Amino acid sequence: MAKKILIIDDDEQLRRACHDFLADSGYEVDCAEELEEAQSLLTYIPYSVVVTDLRLSKLAFGGLDVIRHIREQALPARVIVLTAYGWPELKTEASASGVDAFLRKPARLRELGAAVDALMGATA
Amino acid sequence: MTKSILETILDPTTLSVFFQPIFEVRNGIKRVDSVEALIRGPRKTNFYRADILFDYVRRKKAEAAVDQSCFTAVCEAVTALPEDIRVNVNVHAATLGQNSGFVDFFRRCAKRHSLKLDRFTIEIVEHAPSCDASRLTATIAQLRDFGVRIALDDVGLGQSNYRMMLDCDPEYFKLDGYFVRDLNRDPKRRAVVSSLVALAKTLESAVVAEAVGSEEDLAKISELGVDLVQANILCAAMPLEDLQKLGHIEPSPFADVPAESQHGIDRVSCIEKYTESLSVAFGESS
Repeated sequence: MAKKILIIDDDEQLRRACHDFLADSGYEVDCAEELEEAQSLLTYIPYSVVVTDLRLSKLAFGGLDVIRHIREQALPARVIVLTAYGWPELKTEASASGVDAFLRKPARLRELGAAVDALMGATA
Repeated sequence: MTKSILETILDPTTLSVFFQPIFEVRNGIKRVDSVEALIRGPRKTNFYRADILFDYVRRKKAEAAVDQSCFTAVCEAVTALPEDIRVNVNVHAATLGQNSGFVDFFRRCAKRHSLKLDRFTIEIVEHAPSCDASRLTATIAQLRDFGVRIALDDVGLGQSNYRMMLDCDPEYFKLDGYFVRDLNRDPKRRAVVSSLVALAKTLESAVVAEAVGSEEDLAKISELGVDLVQANILCAAMPLEDLQKLGHIEPSPFADVPAESQHGIDRVSCIEKYTESLSVAFGESS
């Protein structure tokens, strides 16, 4: 069974670029643009890795809610945060919530691929 | 400007309607008793899956608006069904328990599509604990005045409990598949189903068994006194055209007639003329 990835970002171009790159790498990829959509997908679909922005639509730190949801529901998904925010406090809070990797926007797709591969290797 | 997800879902034309027959099974003979209309969200989106669609809707607290959008899509699809087929429609308890004007909307929408209200059964889903019970029962009473029947969905699970049985006084208990699965091999499940069948009988409700998974379970459920069955092993949910191809449903002779009057012809007058012609053929008008 192909390992599944969920990309959460309100930027459609970024979602599409990440989707195509990771799908070409052989992963099964879904995308969500807002918090509730991500929560609904996470309720019904088992993802191995979730890549999320911290800012989602009008929610400044909606990504943190996604991470909390994953941990509260005890979902096995590993989490990569892909964000333009560089605040150390935020990084600390996200790390405390159980983030597995941070990527600073703009990130290269191959950096994302390497982070995903590393976590997928860890979940194998 | 691009539409938001919710705006897209609220457009009934983006929704697809599938139908799954509910069969009456007696002595091994099955006949279609009614159909449940099941919604799929916009194609090529995450919301095509009904579980994800409605989970999202509940998170957005948009049950009432989306139930209206779904009912509009259902009415459009039901116009292609024969007149004598009863139709089950899912409506959230929260929609019925709010002062959302649902009954008025329901009546107007059915009328616009020339559909009789008494052919509908409303399946109450997802009873939220915060739902206003007195408003819920008042709304149900209004719907009953129009001949609408009530079914309680997912009986035995979550909030679909004894209180709801009393508050809603449903004509049908829809028994969740959880209790029916492996019924043949599990005496504890049989005990639960037997007690619910007995309770339904006392409350003058019929029981519908959902998601029966095998012929053995089907035989057992029948033995326990349940005649109404909705299950993929009998027929999965599918678009109406596919149901018609399988021969479960005949096409409506009025399917191509517009609901609303165009050039002096509409579906109601067409049906009336057809009924009249049948009466003449059988000598009832003399």
